[in-house]
Amino acid sequence: MINNIRYPTLRLGKTSIDLFPFWIGLLSIGFLFGLVGAFVVLRDGLDVTGLSNAVPWGLWISIDLSAISMGGSAFVFGVIVYILRIKRFEVIGKLAVLLGFLGYSTAGMVLLFDLGQPLRFWHPIVFWQPHSLLWEVTMCVVLYLNVLLAELLPIVLEHPIFKTHPWLTRYRLLGNLMNKVYSFSAWLHKAGPILAIAGLTLSLLHQASLGATYSVLAGRGIWFNQSAPVQFVLSAMSGGIALLFITSVFIFRVMRSGMVSDSALYDVARLAGGITLLLTYLRVWDWAVTNYYSFDREIFLQTQILDTIAPYSLTFWLGQALLPVIAGSILLAAKSIKNFRYLMAVAVIPIIAAIITRWNYNFAGLIASISYDPFTPNIVLNSYTPTWVEFAVGTMVICYWMLAFSLAARFLPFKSSHDHHE
Amino acid sequence: MEKDSENKPAGKNVSRRDLLKVGAALLGVTGLTQFVGLNTLKVRASETIDEGGRKWGMLIDINKCIGCNYCTYACQAINNLADDMLYNVVTAEETQSGEEFFLSRPCMQCAEAPCVHVCPVEATYYRPDGIVAMNYDRCIGCRYCQVACPYGARVFNWKEPIELSPKVPDFGTPELKNRPRGVVEKCHFCSHRIDEGLENGLTPGVDAQATPACVVVCPTNARIFGDTNDPQSPISIARAEATVTLRLREELSTEPRVYYIPPNPKPETQEEAGS
Repeated sequence: MINNIRYPTLRLGKTSIDLFPFWIGLLSIGFLFGLVGAFVVLRDGLDVTGLSNAVPWGLWISIDLSAISMGGSAFVFGVIVYILRIKRFEVIGKLAVLLGFLGYSTAGMVLLFDLGQPLRFWHPIVFWQPHSLLWEVTMCVVLYLNVLLAELLPIVLEHPIFKTHPWLTRYRLLGNLMNKVYSFSAWLHKAGPILAIAGLTLSLLHQASLGATYSVLAGRGIWFNQSAPVQFVLSAMSGGIALLFITSVFIFRVMRSGMVSDSALYDVARLAGGITLLLTYLRVWDWAVTNYYSFDREIFLQTQILDTIAPYSLTFWLGQALLPVIAGSILLAAKSIKNFRYLMAVAVIPIIAAIITRWNYNFAGLIASISYDPFTPNIVLNSYTPTWVEFAVGTMVICYWMLAFSLAARFLPFKSSHDHHE
Repeated sequence: MEKDSENKPAGKNVSRRDLLKVGAALLGVTGLTQFVGLNTLKVRASETIDEGGRKWGMLIDINKCIGCNYCTYACQAINNLADDMLYNVVTAEETQSGEEFFLSRPCMQCAEAPCVHVCPVEATYYRPDGIVAMNYDRCIGCRYCQVACPYGARVFNWKEPIELSPKVPDFGTPELKNRPRGVVEKCHFCSHRIDEGLENGLTPGVDAQATPACVVVCPTNARIFGDTNDPQSPISIARAEATVTLRLREELSTEPRVYYIPPNPKPETQEEAGS
């Protein structure tokens, strides 16, 4: 089956050039450039960033939140494949696990640089503070990353290199070790349903808690919002599944033609569309509750001041309300549209919407904060400009994501268990 | 049906052994929740135990504050802080009628501190005497407490700590060792002075050695410190004498332990109101 994979190539006259090595080279350069920034921040501390006491969370936290949301399809498809046992999504479910792992490991990587004391990253695991949402998020992410690893290991081991490499027979120790890994992986695969339940629980918990991380902070006005946890869960699902749709079409229809039936791919698009519409419905109601049916002076002033410096309301109405409604409706009608190019283009919108939500959320309460003076409290406009180090580390983790994804897209077999039966 | 034939073998494998596994997992989860419960109780217990029943508080008389910033400078000298590290901030503000006044803001030492609620590693915690303290060895530098604090009272150590504060020796000498780069710091009501003072039989708020540096240095005695649970303490007496006191952003229910005497209306406006 691997022999049938089609790669993107560049045709020059009669010769066709495999673009893959150039693509990997480009990403590697980006990653190496980022490593320089990473070294600088570890050596000199967070002083090299544009962060300040007024805006302590910036670009990295936004990337972190976005990366986690991009892994939102993993728990949904874990349930679909392992608990509901819908076989035609099995292969897509494997890709979802990969996207989940990439999203979460990217987030973990960027967070490490965002800590003032990176060597103390393990403190939350030992020093428990169960009242803290960030503690809960950390624990869930750590545990869920392990669940994803356990789900990913059998998928990676499907690659024939781990069975047929000559070293496995030449070095017996390595061969024996590989056998142990295989039996462990088989055991993990059997534990699939349990892992799926654990993944669902952990994922729902912390996707929601990421919203709550902001929404419990009464002192920041615009963040203090009861529906944020649900919004974060739903937007991670809609953005994550939209990403899964695009990548599935690319990997299972373009590269490995015919591996997954078109109807299964349409169903993924419809799922993304449905959740996008549900999310937009909720979000518009949420807007109405906080801005139309009630009036909060702080939220009003914060929104007003944010609009003067950035397209804050515009990105809401256009990026989080209007376009997602259109995109959601089109994706929901995937089976009648039957045009993968259109559907893939449209599926970009829920992804952007999920990212905009997180970026707006992270910056809104920090850039427009509320002063504490007792008689004439007002909105203070703080400024924040990321430095090259922040962009470099951001580039590094994004390149890591794309590198790992590209390698997996080309080399992972994504075998279906049907193959074993046949 | 096709689906059934696919699913059955897997289903058989699942039954008993997996049931046991699920049972074990549930037991594990139950055990974990017990652990969480015990941990939570431990935190609460330490909150309620109250040696001597003292709760330290501060009263700042806005009418007396002249905006000289000595409180800030003394704080920087005692804690050995660089000029851009401010535990205490003095700002010029206005009342609704446009009268200017100076607002000096230490940490509010909230009884319901958002920073304590959000810290993922319990690096910031309530001392039994109500002071919101920091464990600098535990802080991971995530800065969630900064994001959570409605008063902007927390400062992050962006740089390597300074060797000697520029405010030394004019406003005092360092009394504490430096905190490492990458942790969050804050005003602690000079808790080291309180602890040492109590050991030596002194009374914080009365004896200068046992009283926060900002209170001692204030040239107009705008700051009064003491045990809010002791009716004879300077702060309790001053609060009883004051006709009205306020706390900052009281609507957030953070229950600050820093009280303010608001600016009196100017005499002419009083007359206008009277006529």
